[in-house]
Amino acid sequence: MLHVQQFSFVLEDIPILECLSFTLAKGEYLSVIGPNGAGKSTLLKCLMRVHEQGSARGEIRLKGCLLSEYDQRRLAALISYVPQAGGWIPPFTVEELLRLSRYPYLSAGGVLRRTDLEAVEKALCLTDMKKLASRRLASLSGGERQKAFVAAALAQETEIILLDEPASFLDPKHTAELNRLIRVLHREHGITMLTVTHDLNHPVCMEGKILVLRQGRQLFFGQAQEMLQGNILEEAFSHQFTCFQHPGTGRPMLLAEA
Amino acid sequence: MQRTYIFFCFVLLCGMLAAASPFWGMSVISPASIWTTGHPDAEVFWRLRLPRTLAAFLAGAGLSISGMVFQALLRNPLATPFTRGGSSGAALGASVYFRLGAFLPFFGSAGSLGAALSGGLLSMLLVYLITRARGGFSTLTMLLAGVIINFFFSSLVMFTQYLSDAKDSLRIMHWLMGSLAGLEVFRIADLACAVIAGALVIRHFSVEIDLLAAGEELAASRGVRTNRTKVALFATASIIVGTVVSLTGPIGFVGMIIPHMCRVWLGWSHRKLLPAAFFLGGCFLVVCDVFSRSILAPAEVPIGIITALIGGPFFLWVLFTSCRHGEVF
Repeated sequence: MLHVQQFSFVLEDIPILECLSFTLAKGEYLSVIGPNGAGKSTLLKCLMRVHEQGSARGEIRLKGCLLSEYDQRRLAALISYVPQAGGWIPPFTVEELLRLSRYPYLSAGGVLRRTDLEAVEKALCLTDMKKLASRRLASLSGGERQKAFVAAALAQETEIILLDEPASFLDPKHTAELNRLIRVLHREHGITMLTVTHDLNHPVCMEGKILVLRQGRQLFFGQAQEMLQGNILEEAFSHQFTCFQHPGTGRPMLLAEA
Repeated sequence: MQRTYIFFCFVLLCGMLAAASPFWGMSVISPASIWTTGHPDAEVFWRLRLPRTLAAFLAGAGLSISGMVFQALLRNPLATPFTRGGSSGAALGASVYFRLGAFLPFFGSAGSLGAALSGGLLSMLLVYLITRARGGFSTLTMLLAGVIINFFFSSLVMFTQYLSDAKDSLRIMHWLMGSLAGLEVFRIADLACAVIAGALVIRHFSVEIDLLAAGEELAASRGVRTNRTKVALFATASIIVGTVVSLTGPIGFVGMIIPHMCRVWLGWSHRKLLPAAFFLGGCFLVVCDVFSRSILAPAEVPIGIITALIGGPFFLWVLFTSCRHGEVF
């Protein structure tokens, strides 16, 4: 579904991403990890084509076509985006935000049709946000707000959802709730997902592929087990990690050395 | 529901006040007399008060809807139609014309209008070029460029005023306070064209404005071509502001308080906000104009003073009441 081949991105003469190559098949889950400044969020912005400046080399193909061949509106019908928690809070209610997510499908008159309203309703139900639909985003807790953004991405009815550190700034309870929702959407609804995260245990829990970046370069692309066998994380973060088995699930867990 | 009802009553009240305003002034005109041919009141009503009321309505509506666009795109409640330096550019154009007016008598009254419009458009063009020079079309760069151009042109206005004699200096000062007096009918037609055409363009982009107010990345991820849309909207709002300011002088507060007040009542859907901001902005300036020509009659108080005197405390009231509900941005 998504093929990135020898992709590089330069911003103000500074190389931000260098020679990235990876693929994401339909229904797969890809976690992008790496230290701050590794170019993770830039990668998402390049995939959404929202960079105003900078020059790109290499190619990104989505469903066989080059990303540059897509009209921005057509692209928005294929890829949606959940922004980083803690950013600018749009001055809308939850329902208004979801209705705005139907923009790629709006007719010239800009009026929502029945199918649009049904998609909004479905997204509200799936994320259990119906009771908060009339609340302003600013009045919600951080966790509820992130769920609202996930619901908005769902209302956009795309095949791929990009999530930019969706659980940053959230407490453990809200992080777990959000991860549970993401897991349900990925596994039960087959949505292809690409998540940028600082939580190293997130990719292990999601059992998808992992892309490790460092200073814009690709250090690793593959399964979690392969990553844990080498010293990839130590190299990426210049820091030591301890790997142990979770006593309940038996899954490998990572702990950064103090 | 109760808020919508209150807002509807408020709109109705404003509409009634605006409709009654041409009958008010130094002398009160009876509605019966305006249909009597040759009656002095009918002459005053049809030739002076009605065109002036129409001009006030259009100017207020234009400033209000352009302020609404600037506030949404800059995501800043303090943004005004003049944030991008349009008014200081127009002021410089008009000031230079007044200073050199003695050498340019052949342009007549259109001279100051043309100079103000050119100055306003020049300043907006400079802001645009500075923003482009930095790469992309960053809202923050544009905001800062607007502030810098505003300060720079305001200094040049003061310098021009300093170089002028007492008569020209007074004319510059009077223009800077804003006035709706003496507007010719065909100038009002120009104003109507700019404001109505601008409102239609803004209506066309109303969903895009909502999305841009939600954040540029979010807007782009929903399919909005952000740069193209921003350029189109800023150009439209700038042309409306340039036309209004060139005809009336800079009239403050309307473009800040009216859209803000409408947002507190109606929320952020620009499809709903546009007609409300258009109508209330127009009515507000019409009512201010009645005060401007009545309170010290036969002298006229500059309308900019009235808008600030009414608008300032009213804005504070809206701010404090809405802050209690956590609804201002």
